[in-house]
Amino acid sequence: MDLVAGRAYTAERRPIRHLDPVLLAAVAALAVVGLLMVYSSTRTSLNALGMDPGVYVKKQVAFLVIGAVVVPLMAAFDYRFLKVYAGIIYFVSLALLVLVRTPLGSSVRGSQRWFGLFGFQFAPSELAKLAVIVMLAALLSELRSRELSLSDVYRATGIAALPALLVFLQPDLGTSIVIASMLVGVLVVAGARGRQLGVLALMAVVLILGAFQLGLVKDYQIARLTGFFDPQNDPQRTDWNRHQAEIAIGSGGLTGRGYLKGTQTNLDFVPEQHTDFIFTVVGEEFGFVGAMGVLLLFGVLIWRAFRIALLSKDAFGTYVAAGIATLFAIQVFVSVGMTTGIMPITGIPLPFVSYGGSSLLTNSIAIGMLLNVHMRRFT
Amino acid sequence: MTEGRAGFRLRVLAGLVVFMFTALTTRLWFLQVLASEQYRKEANNNQTRTVDVLAKRGRIYDASGNVLVDNRESLVLTVNRQAAAGHEEEIIFQLSKLLGVSPQELANRIEDPRYPVYWPVPVAVDVPLRVVYYVSEYAADFPGVEIAKVPVRTYPDGSLAAHVLGYLGQISPEKLEDPTFAGYEAGDLVGVAGVEAVYEHDLVGTEGYVQYRVNSEGQNLGEIGQRAPAAGNDIYLTIDVPTQQLAEESLALGMKAARGIADAATNAYLKANAGAVVVMDPQTGAILALASAPTFNPSIFVKPLTNREYKRRFGHTQNYPLMDRAIYGQYPPGSAYKPFIALSALEQGLVNETQNYACPPTWTTPYNEDDPNARRYPFHNWTTADLGYMTLARALWMSCDTVFYPIGYDYWAIYYPPSEPAREPLQKDLMASGFGELTNVDLPSEQAGRVPTAEWKREVHRANPQAFPEGGWYPGDFVNMSIGQGETLVTPLQIAQAYSAIMNDGRVCVPHVLDEVRTPTGVLVRRDRLRCTHRLPFSQQEIAYVRNALTQVPQAGTAAAAFVGFPFSQVWIAGKTGTAQVNNKQDYSWFAAMTNAQGKEYVVVALVEQGGHGSTTAAPIVRRIVEGLYGLPQSGFLGDSGTD
Repeated sequence: MDLVAGRAYTAERRPIRHLDPVLLAAVAALAVVGLLMVYSSTRTSLNALGMDPGVYVKKQVAFLVIGAVVVPLMAAFDYRFLKVYAGIIYFVSLALLVLVRTPLGSSVRGSQRWFGLFGFQFAPSELAKLAVIVMLAALLSELRSRELSLSDVYRATGIAALPALLVFLQPDLGTSIVIASMLVGVLVVAGARGRQLGVLALMAVVLILGAFQLGLVKDYQIARLTGFFDPQNDPQRTDWNRHQAEIAIGSGGLTGRGYLKGTQTNLDFVPEQHTDFIFTVVGEEFGFVGAMGVLLLFGVLIWRAFRIALLSKDAFGTYVAAGIATLFAIQVFVSVGMTTGIMPITGIPLPFVSYGGSSLLTNSIAIGMLLNVHMRRFT
Repeated sequence: MTEGRAGFRLRVLAGLVVFMFTALTTRLWFLQVLASEQYRKEANNNQTRTVDVLAKRGRIYDASGNVLVDNRESLVLTVNRQAAAGHEEEIIFQLSKLLGVSPQELANRIEDPRYPVYWPVPVAVDVPLRVVYYVSEYAADFPGVEIAKVPVRTYPDGSLAAHVLGYLGQISPEKLEDPTFAGYEAGDLVGVAGVEAVYEHDLVGTEGYVQYRVNSEGQNLGEIGQRAPAAGNDIYLTIDVPTQQLAEESLALGMKAARGIADAATNAYLKANAGAVVVMDPQTGAILALASAPTFNPSIFVKPLTNREYKRRFGHTQNYPLMDRAIYGQYPPGSAYKPFIALSALEQGLVNETQNYACPPTWTTPYNEDDPNARRYPFHNWTTADLGYMTLARALWMSCDTVFYPIGYDYWAIYYPPSEPAREPLQKDLMASGFGELTNVDLPSEQAGRVPTAEWKREVHRANPQAFPEGGWYPGDFVNMSIGQGETLVTPLQIAQAYSAIMNDGRVCVPHVLDEVRTPTGVLVRRDRLRCTHRLPFSQQEIAYVRNALTQVPQAGTAAAAFVGFPFSQVWIAGKTGTAQVNNKQDYSWFAAMTNAQGKEYVVVALVEQGGHGSTTAAPIVRRIVEGLYGLPQSGFLGDSGTD
């Protein structure tokens, strides 16, 4: 007998017996790929600096250990508690997003988005993504009517727009795009009609134009976008970066140049290669076969998330799982898309593969939540 | 939450995800499978830097192995505008003091539009060592400034044969597009004139390179490959240095002498400000000397030139010294054309070798039965004296215009009957003699001259009705053509080629300056093959008749005054004067000679713009050259003789 949310149930319905091993295996495989790629992309520069070539890998292992603790932790309690505390979670994350703009937050390369904490860096925008999912799911699952009204859509949009705007001001265009995409994903599942989504899209266009007009978009962001659309006008070498990424991936060919043998990677031609551009290492060293393997692992992960959304006992669980499915899908699409030249460069890490604690922590929490919903589909 | 609606909506969202993954897969397929080869190449190029090692350009020799063009190493200071960005003013200021060149001048050189911004622009050649040391020591103050050792051309004989040799210059954008110049890059030096241009691909050699492996910062990670440069092949010309010197000197002296002679027609001294000389072996078409005045020293082009300097040295005020008047200048031939008119008329049966023809001071177009009201025009001989009756041979050596006018008229009367389609045997014969056509000499920018035809005149009139207000072909056109005037134009080289054919029993040879191409170690690569492919359209007898008639020109004819005291018994010589009228200019002076002695044959042609009568300026130049060629004592310049 177990007691969760005040209910009793039989042994075969005990959550611990309904883990999703396929999901966990996919995540573990991605994490291993990530370690290999982080090593390959940082080894030569660290060697050149006379440092231990494994220093980034070791840190990433530490992050993974934290992640491995976080996943069961997030799966341990009934996810429906999240619905109860959705408002608090949401407003705490908003408060952190505001606080990070004060001197408490620290600035890296012109973007104020981090808190320094025990030698680790933590970005509240990461937490905000999950807070938005939980808040949206809580709101939409409480609606009585079968159809979404336009005002419901507006309220949902407001919930997503507030943190998206704060994140955008940091500036972190990528995370804003992710939050906006999750909003669309959850709304689609919650039954928003095409016309309502159309109204949203129109508002988004007006907002973006307004942002440009008011000078809220930083020059480098414009440069990245114009570099994408107009490669001749590229003062920041954004297009050069993108081209180097394409060369790395394209030169991998069908089967890759071999682990640790990519010249683009070894000679440091691709920028931010252990973080946002990590997929170029996969493409260069393991080729089309390796790239498809990694995409397949993500495919499995997202398929399991959808399956969990479908199996969920309640609407809240469905929306949470659907939001997380969208979260992973859009991160993979933008991260791989920008390294292959079909998306503008916005700086989004590849989940579980890119080096970095904050994103790993968020993604681990998300996996824990997925498991949580899956485990309690009978209770 | 497993009811149908939510399940459907989840599938819609999953569909969107599938679509995104499909897009990624398609893109990866394109990059890694379809376009992989290209990206693999780019990855390889990325990690390598190639530094070109210039090949030594082939040398140019004369017929007996004297070096005409050689190489030497020069220290060149270059400025890379991109690397110097933001520091241009300090750099210009500092370099100005070091090099002793004004800042304005330096700025002009750096902003040379022929170079792309990322390319090092040479701004000073033969930089003194003191400057080299200074710039290397304070390298941090000179971003983008580099000193390179560059092989440059050197000309041991100065301006000698400048027009034949040519010079080097930046490759033009048009040539960069040209597939025969594949592998050349912007900023490369190529031959842009003379032999340097024509035999560019023999002379240029193969650039070598050194390849380094670099990282994204451009740091050198070590050499990974190299190829030694291969020097270009050497060119041996048919030009003979002593003959070339003789020709240039004689032309210059002759022009100088002419400038002391008064021109009766303009009541002024002759201007004699430009001219050309060709010395050719009539048996082969080999050019032994090709002179054009005014001339220039090709070593000027080793140094960077501003547009202003270029105009000042080579523009209108200097009478365009870069122009090779022997092949590019087009002039009316005047009486120097008469031998070919005579040959055609003999061939067409309009005249014969023995009959006597009248040589009055004036000939008037005859009464025309078909057009009784036509105006009858008078045409004058070069002299007002009535020279009586004479054979065609005497008419040639006395250069009697009034014997040739009716020949020209006959071409009109016989071949332009109003009822039948026109035929043009005269033009056909002249073109077969090489006029109005390129000789295909192995030098650039050759001009074809002009043999006017009725069709040509009609075309010009159609394009520009003011050019010939009547537009039609008239007897006067043939009458003018019979004495090498009207719209007829020839180059000095064409005259030399045509006289060579008379000397050569009718064989027409392609003139050429190339003798051999040899590797730097002296192995023969190829030899210019003899191209005497066609013949004059006249019989041996006709040619011999005209050739014999021309022997009288220096002895008893129009050039007799210029050849007083010439040892005719030692040197067989025949020739023809020409005095060409050019609108608003003093007469242009021609002389073409054929010689044979000591087993050596030559054709020597001289033209002097505004040099007066053929016998006044051109004939003494030719005489001096002929004397030099056969080692005879040189007679110097005698003065005006006043005959055609």
